[in-house]
This record gives sequence, structure tokens and C-alpha cells, in this order.
Amino acid sequence: MHVFISGGCKNGKSFFAQETAKKRAQERGAPLYYIATMIPADEEDEARIRRHVREREGWGFITIEQGMDICGALEYADSDGVFLLDSVTALLSNEMFGRPGGLQPTAGEKVKGELLEFVQKTGDAIFVSDYLYSDALQYDELTEGYRKALAGCDRALVRVCERVVEVCYGTCFEFK
Amino acid sequence: MKLIIGGAYQGKLDYAKKHFDVREAFFCSQERAELDFSKEAICGLEQFALACVKSGIEAKDYLREHRQLLEDKVLICTDISQGIVPIDMQQRAMREMTGRALVYLAQEAETVVRVFCGLGCRLK
Repeated sequence: MHVFISGGCKNGKSFFAQETAKKRAQERGAPLYYIATMIPADEEDEARIRRHVREREGWGFITIEQGMDICGALEYADSDGVFLLDSVTALLSNEMFGRPGGLQPTAGEKVKGELLEFVQKTGDAIFVSDYLYSDALQYDELTEGYRKALAGCDRALVRVCERVVEVCYGTCFEFK
Repeated sequence: MKLIIGGAYQGKLDYAKKHFDVREAFFCSQERAELDFSKEAICGLEQFALACVKSGIEAKDYLREHRQLLEDKVLICTDISQGIVPIDMQQRAMREMTGRALVYLAQEAETVVRVFCGLGCRLK
């Protein structure tokens, strides 16, 4: 099953996603993979990653670090396993702003295509994204382009995922 | 009257076309504090609210005065209520004016739908 999870910042999305993934892997006796998407830029990021790694201890995840070219993660994994990709937000940010050549304006289409390919190649995957669309601030073109591209990725995933959940402070609303 | 709300880029107009038989929509402009009632849908009410801020009128009052014309319409508005309070006074006023207008419209509408990543959740 493919699951899409979104919601506001610090609402419990990751925890809910980890629980869902772990349960699924136990039911099926399948390997459980965590696809870590953050590429650390400074000490603050390093500390955040250390905290996330500590929080995942004992859950049974095999961590694959894949901040770009998401289907590359499947080279190191059994595609029949259960995958947790946290997050679509970071993946797009890396692809759009983190390449050596600078800004990649078409990163949204690339990530969208690769996520759909990832869905096709796997049987069980959970995608975590961030709902950052209800802000009144008028952003610059760059930020607005990123928001629009992320919405494109989210909506493409929602179309193909069998289950769609919005996490709101630990409670869940099942859209699908 | 039907009201569709949801964050930016969530597919609100696509939803209206698919579920409420909308073919054409009027797109509000932040430069014009007036609505055109000739299409099935009125899109981007938050822009209309900004135009109202600039013109010194209350969007909710305008909508109330034109209530009859809204009866068979699908109204679409971006929910801009859940982020940081904007530092810019005009944007702050727009955010609040949009909220007041939406409370009125949600009361009046027979159907209210929130669109999340293309999927609708019926609130009313």
C-alpha cells in the first residue's frame, strides 16, 4: 500500500508515519527502510539529524541516505520492503536548490516523475510532506515557485496513493 | 451558493470544474474591488479582499449587499489564515478581511468544501 501523509509543522507526521511503516513491515515480515532525505548544511542540521537518528533507534529501520535522485535508494534495498520517505519537502528542496549548478527551475517535474516511478517500483511506501499552503505572506518568485512545485508533487502522489492522511497535532484525518 | 476553500495550489478550481459543473470562472483582481457575476464561479476572493483593503471597503459588506447574485455561484478562496502574521500592514489587513468574508460566506453557503491536495472534504 502507498500512503501519503501531510500536515503542519511539528504535528506528529513523522511519528505517525514511522508507526504506520513499522506496523506494515511487521504484518508482512518485510524489511523496513527509512529514506533519509536531509543533506546537512551546517551544525544545526547535523544536530537535527543526530536527534532524528536517536528517535528512530529501536524501531528496526535500515537507513538509506538519499537526498536526490530518489529511485537510487532502490539500488540498496529490496523493492518488496516497506519504505518510509521523510520528506518530499526536503527532497524537492535539495533537487531545486542543492545542486552544484544552482537553481533548478524544473526540479518539480523531475521529482514528481521520480516519485511516481518510485510508487510503481514498490509495493509499500509512505511519503511524508508538509502542508505549507495556507500562509498569507506574499513570497518572492523563488519561494512561490518552490511552493507550487511541492503542491504539484503532493497532488501527483495523492492521485496514486491508496491512503491519504492529514495529521493534525497527532490526530488524523483520513481523506482517502 | 457553494464555497470552496483550501491552501494555495491545491486544485480548488479543478475541483469546482469536476464536481460543481463549473465551466468558466471570474478571477478576482487585487486592483478592482468589484465582482463580475456573469460566470459560474468566482475565483480568488482573497485578491478581492485585498482590493477592498486598498479601496477602504469591507469585503463582507459588499458580499452581503450582493447576496442575491451569489445564490447560484461557486465561490473559491485560498485559505490564507494559517501562517505567520504578515509584517506588512496591507497584507495583514487582507488576511483579516478574507477571514471575515469567509465566515459570512460559510454561513450563507449550502455547501462548504475544503480541498486538500486535490481531494475534497465536505465541511458543510
